Amino acid sequence: MSARAPLWVNKYKPKRFDEIIGNRSAILEFRAWLKRRLKGANVEKAALLWGPPGVGKTLTVEVAAKEYKLELIQMNASDVRTKDQVMRILGMASQYVSLTGRKGKIILVDEVDGMSGTEDRGGLAAVVDLIDRSRFPVVLTANDPWDPKFRSLREKCKMIRYDRVRSSSIVSYLKKICLAEGILADERALKFIADRSEGDVRSAVNDLQAVAQGRKKLTLEDVKWLAVRDRQFNAFDVLRGIFAAKTCRAAKIALAQSTLDYEMIFQWLHENLPNQYKNPLELAEAYEALSRADVFLGRTKRTQAWTLLSYVIDLMTAGVSMARKSPYRFTKYQFPERLRILSKSKEIRSLRNELCALIAQKCHISRRGASSEYLPYLKFIFEHNPEMAAGIARWLQMSEEMISYLAGWEKAQQIISLMRRRKSK
Amino acid sequence: MAADASMMLWTEKYRPRLLDEIVNQREVIERIKQFVKSKNIPHMLFAGPPGTGKTTTALALAYELYGGYWRQNVLELNASDERGIATIRERVKDYARTMPIGDVPYKMIILDEADNMTADAQQALRRTMELYTRTCRFILIANYSSKIIEPIQSRCAIFRFQPLSDQDIANRIKYIAEKEGVDLREDGLKAILYVAEGDLRRAINTLQAAAALGVVDEKAVFRVVGKASPVEIREMMELALRGQFVKAREKLRELMITYGLSGVDIVRQMHREVFALKIPEEAKVKLADKIGEINFRMVEGADEEIQLSALLAYFSLFGSQLK
Repeated sequence: MSARAPLWVNKYKPKRFDEIIGNRSAILEFRAWLKRRLKGANVEKAALLWGPPGVGKTLTVEVAAKEYKLELIQMNASDVRTKDQVMRILGMASQYVSLTGRKGKIILVDEVDGMSGTEDRGGLAAVVDLIDRSRFPVVLTANDPWDPKFRSLREKCKMIRYDRVRSSSIVSYLKKICLAEGILADERALKFIADRSEGDVRSAVNDLQAVAQGRKKLTLEDVKWLAVRDRQFNAFDVLRGIFAAKTCRAAKIALAQSTLDYEMIFQWLHENLPNQYKNPLELAEAYEALSRADVFLGRTKRTQAWTLLSYVIDLMTAGVSMARKSPYRFTKYQFPERLRILSKSKEIRSLRNELCALIAQKCHISRRGASSEYLPYLKFIFEHNPEMAAGIARWLQMSEEMISYLAGWEKAQQIISLMRRRKSK
Repeated sequence: MAADASMMLWTEKYRPRLLDEIVNQREVIERIKQFVKSKNIPHMLFAGPPGTGKTTTALALAYELYGGYWRQNVLELNASDERGIATIRERVKDYARTMPIGDVPYKMIILDEADNMTADAQQALRRTMELYTRTCRFILIANYSSKIIEPIQSRCAIFRFQPLSDQDIANRIKYIAEKEGVDLREDGLKAILYVAEGDLRRAINTLQAAAALGVVDEKAVFRVVGKASPVEIREMMELALRGQFVKAREKLRELMITYGLSGVDIVRQMHREVFALKIPEEAKVKLADKIGEINFRMVEGADEEIQLSALLAYFSLFGSQLK
């Protein structure tokens, strides 16, 4: 991201302790330890801040560096692997004191629990070595430091625990950002983002930027797709799993491992069959399987015999994947167009239903009959003869929306003005 | 009503109010008139193809029986629109609780499209009919009497409505055209008879829509039906046969979502159109067979669009093998 469009997590990063949201007591504890450590009191040489991601562990250290005018020497645990590297870091720490004119330094080693297995065994010893040798306070962060291999590390550290940040706190933080960005945000939208983040402030701010940047208004609808986005990634995987499966079992597992609703996947498959299967034989066979699956689904729902569901699953997974005659071809899958159309045309459909109800009442027919026996003719009349249309519209007591639906907007204006004229006569 | 009568839908404006005005169906009408005269009617079942006057006859019967009070004494229900037998039973119960107005000792319930009810719902309906026989008479209307369960049939006087002849429809259409001052040409009338297939309602609607253009000639009529029906369906089938499955499926969605056709509507129209396709004769049989299979699965299944897409995929495969 360019400087003109900085990440909001950086742009709005707290600069003072009181700006950090959540984990108040952990921060106090850390500050107390740091003060004493800087004075040379007899405390642990290092602190280990541990807890879930995005709750402010690294941030605490960064702010502390500012507040106490310390030079921050920050590295990732993977940088500290060998004795040589430790010596270099310590060398840096002791040599360049005068350059920034600051009195002290603080060494931050992020994500120590990221070191794993034999490969990093040396690294872990090096970190312990660093703590032992350093004149300056060393701070480590970790998500989960409770693996036995970190025992020696834990013994040398002041352990400070960070918790997930409360959703309400995240909401007020997001609100401040929106205010600064000139965005009018619906509280429910912010709450949706905050709840979804599960206490991870960083991801909440990133999500906010993803949905809100460049907008003046943020509604609940605008953020709903965040959920869709997550599920979409998942749907891609499921589809790939099904289409690429070489055995029935593999195809079934692809669906079973997903948290997605099988009916949702059904729609995804329906949408993407022609993308995956370009050969008419494969396509027809795959659709035959979906068609059979749908029959079983219908029976299952009608009879409430949910044991039948397993046949639905068989056909929509194994059935679809066994239609493949050639090797799996990488395919870009699409979001089901139909779901999009349906949600877009929801209003139109409900308008049409109301119109059909009017016709049904006046013409002694079912609503479905009105739709098939009357609507097409009405549409034709409304498109071609405003005079006749105006009379019928009045007789049926149609709303202006209904007239627009039948005639199109322009013709509708003509019809409506004709109706008014006749009424005033 | 009178003020705007010139601008109603013509199917309503020219719906016969009296039994004697009903087109054809002479035998049925004669028998019903006897019932009216004695002011004693049984439960009745009107069966016959669409647009032959079943609902009209029921309404005219009510009008002649109750005169000015007919609205108060008649409950019109449509089985396709009510949310199941429970609501029908509730509405009948509420309605039957009050006494009829006027000198006829019972009320009338017209239940249209009764053959759309499941057999179970019909059983429940039968009990309801028995329960309120003293205060209510039922007129059930259906396209097929065979889809009405035996126990109900045996409780009803059954009237079969004959398909209208072209002559009957032509007379009525000419009559309406004259009344409305429509310039109806000979070839226009012929075209209307062709598309109506014995359905007077469709004939009148076609006439009115064509009249919206001015002169009603063959060209005008086919412009009307071009919108309403088979052309788009045939286009969809041809796209699929040419292997353009994705486009065919888009067309299908347009028909279902924008035009509001049901899956069953579409599969029936496909069935009608398949014999008009330019493909070998034996191929038509195979496709018709598959259409039937999909029609059957649609009844069993959950999602009409999936079934129709499967049908189109079969068309694509079939088309690729024809080449």
